[in-house]
Amino acid sequence: MKKWPRIIIIAGAVGLALAFALGQLLPNLRTKTSGIEVDITDAQLIKKGEYIARTADCIACHTVLGDEDFAGGLPMLTPLGAIYSTNITPDKETGIGNYSFDDFNNATKHGVRKDKSALYPAMPYPSYQIMPDEDVAAMYAYFMSGVKAVKQANKTSELPPVLNWRWPLAYWQAIFAPERTFVPETDDPVLTRGQYLVEGPGHCGSCHTERGIGFQEVALSNADSEQYLSGAVIDGWRAKSLRGEHRGLGTWSTAELVDFFKTGRTDITAAFGAMAEVVEDSTQYMTEEDLYAMSAYLKTLSPTPGEPVTIVAKEDVTTQKLLDGVYDSRGSILYAEYCQICHRADGKGVPRIFPALEGNSAVYSRDADSVLQITLSGGRMPDTPHDRMAFTMPEFINLSDADIAEVVNYIRNSWTNSASKIDIDDVVQMRHFLSKKPKTATDVAPDLSITAAVQGANRE
Amino acid sequence: MNKSLFNLASVTSSTSRRMTLTVLATAVYALALSGCDSPKPVERNATKYELVTTDDANEDIGTYVLPQDTSILNEPNAEQIFYGKRLLNETKRLLPEHVGAAMNCNSCHISQGKIPLGDPYINSYNFYPRVMPRSGKEVDLEGRINGCFMRSMNGKPLPRESEEMQAMVAYMKWLSQSTPKNQKVAISNAGEVDTSLVADTARGEQIYYAQCATCHGDNGEGMKDSRGDIVFPPLWGDESFNIGAGMARTYKAAAFVKYNMPMGIQTKGLWGHGNVLTDQDAVDVSEFFAHKPRPDFPGKVNDWPTGNKPKDARY
Repeated sequence: MKKWPRIIIIAGAVGLALAFALGQLLPNLRTKTSGIEVDITDAQLIKKGEYIARTADCIACHTVLGDEDFAGGLPMLTPLGAIYSTNITPDKETGIGNYSFDDFNNATKHGVRKDKSALYPAMPYPSYQIMPDEDVAAMYAYFMSGVKAVKQANKTSELPPVLNWRWPLAYWQAIFAPERTFVPETDDPVLTRGQYLVEGPGHCGSCHTERGIGFQEVALSNADSEQYLSGAVIDGWRAKSLRGEHRGLGTWSTAELVDFFKTGRTDITAAFGAMAEVVEDSTQYMTEEDLYAMSAYLKTLSPTPGEPVTIVAKEDVTTQKLLDGVYDSRGSILYAEYCQICHRADGKGVPRIFPALEGNSAVYSRDADSVLQITLSGGRMPDTPHDRMAFTMPEFINLSDADIAEVVNYIRNSWTNSASKIDIDDVVQMRHFLSKKPKTATDVAPDLSITAAVQGANRE
Repeated sequence: MNKSLFNLASVTSSTSRRMTLTVLATAVYALALSGCDSPKPVERNATKYELVTTDDANEDIGTYVLPQDTSILNEPNAEQIFYGKRLLNETKRLLPEHVGAAMNCNSCHISQGKIPLGDPYINSYNFYPRVMPRSGKEVDLEGRINGCFMRSMNGKPLPRESEEMQAMVAYMKWLSQSTPKNQKVAISNAGEVDTSLVADTARGEQIYYAQCATCHGDNGEGMKDSRGDIVFPPLWGDESFNIGAGMARTYKAAAFVKYNMPMGIQTKGLWGHGNVLTDQDAVDVSEFFAHKPRPDFPGKVNDWPTGNKPKDARY
């Protein structure tokens, strides 16, 4: 009996050694040698690659606010510490200047670095994996020749020892990011293009699909399950469901989606938080055809099982009460003081200036995180050439946690809206989370100086 | 552990499961640890200003705490105060007979008169009656409010004893938070701009179309909601303030614009407002809109009876 502990220790050590050895081998099984020669001086190819890099929104994660493009260093907060995005400029010392096309392809699509170690799944290679080699080749040409080399060393992760080992990630990859190919759902070329953009380079699922027990997206395509794009909470935002139910995109038209991707706003809503960055960095640059394709495809997604397909609109008694000064809840007094001037008594806001709260699917979404975060921290809508100005929501950080909960519940359950309620603890948690969250471009006010406006700052 | 939980492909091994378990256990442990110093709910971080005596002796006499409207409920005349607040916010809709322009009191007195440099009402209750240079005589609070009705709102005065007038005064009294008559809250009602600057109207026009016209309109017409209620006030034309309004004066307007406009462009401040223009920008754009056509003010003949007319006066 006494020998058991020793046997367990030895078995554990041997098991670990084996696991380590296999972990070294696994990435090699994922890598590919393509034999493709890429002419990185081909101007047209570089241009094509730039567009594809836009559709893949590489810049969002690989650039820190106010820093050089693609030089990396953006922290991604995990419960165990931050990891940092890397320098993907063509600098030979600190960037990817020494990457061959195959190295680049293996990193982008298979999550394996040049040194054959596994990349954290913060890099959406499970999505990028369906991109054709030719498209990745164009991106390679762009990154080698169209991006300025920046010498900036990568930051090491803040994960604690053991957890910062990379070889276990090889197992994660083997389990959660198996090789997959793009399977069109229909014969329709437009919908197929849309499906490809959403599922592949657009990596919409990175935020909009729930993560599983191993932090993997529970579905990488609509064929996997109807949990695909059914909404998730990430970075304190509710990335809403993009499926067909009422709280998803059920109330959106294809034209509204195109408008939203192109300009970051519609007459009733505006992109905020992480999605504002997506519009500003990525979708505003996409062609009308591609935006239409994505929008049309998203509208084909069935309602998430268990979620109401339509919610019967409540009778609006809020508007008249606010107009008549009938303040019958603390939330209504707070709304009248802090919110009504912009979002109006009828909650409909001002088209393209102040988003509506009434009938806005981001407001009555299943989880209140987005409403809560933007109320506490404010934010800015995307700045695109389509509209002359981009407006902000100011932070209401000086309100008490109790009042924030009151006003959020009021907004989500007034006019025709109905949604779940939050309590004071939710506010406490969000405030705590926000105190650690790094600022991004859409957290700060736009440059409105006349010089900037005339020169077209933020409007390239 | 159930395979389907992982959405597994067929490549799993017992070793990898053990690893996953280890990672999981560590994660759970870390989460449990992080739950130990759980943060507590915070109370309102109310804005506070020093109180000073009106002769500016600046004694350390106390602090003014900016009240939140929810505390109106504690007042015996809560209904009156709320009514006053609504009248100030929605003057045109609630008092159409008295408001000629498409303006509300709080079109200029931003965030319900609670913001320094945004024409606040914080000190108004104690400030009047007072001899005003423009009229050359003593004006009380009701008289001052009626001045706004006739000039900025291009309308008719309210009877002094009317329920509406008394409600607005009650709101301002509440906002003063019982500050003694010989004290004031140490804030400025308006910001400073360099009045020696010479306006460049062409540049002002450029600024207007880049940064103001989205809300105030390409023709200065402002914006109304579907109900016809004012969202953004007109800056010129028949529905704008008349030439007797302070806002029709270049440097007064510039001091407002610089610190309060545009709204919704900062993530700080109750309106996310102001502080994007230089003094020159503010003077240029203010000269541009202030000198556009607008209603006349018949009472102008009585202004500045003792001289000292400011250089940007319109008559």
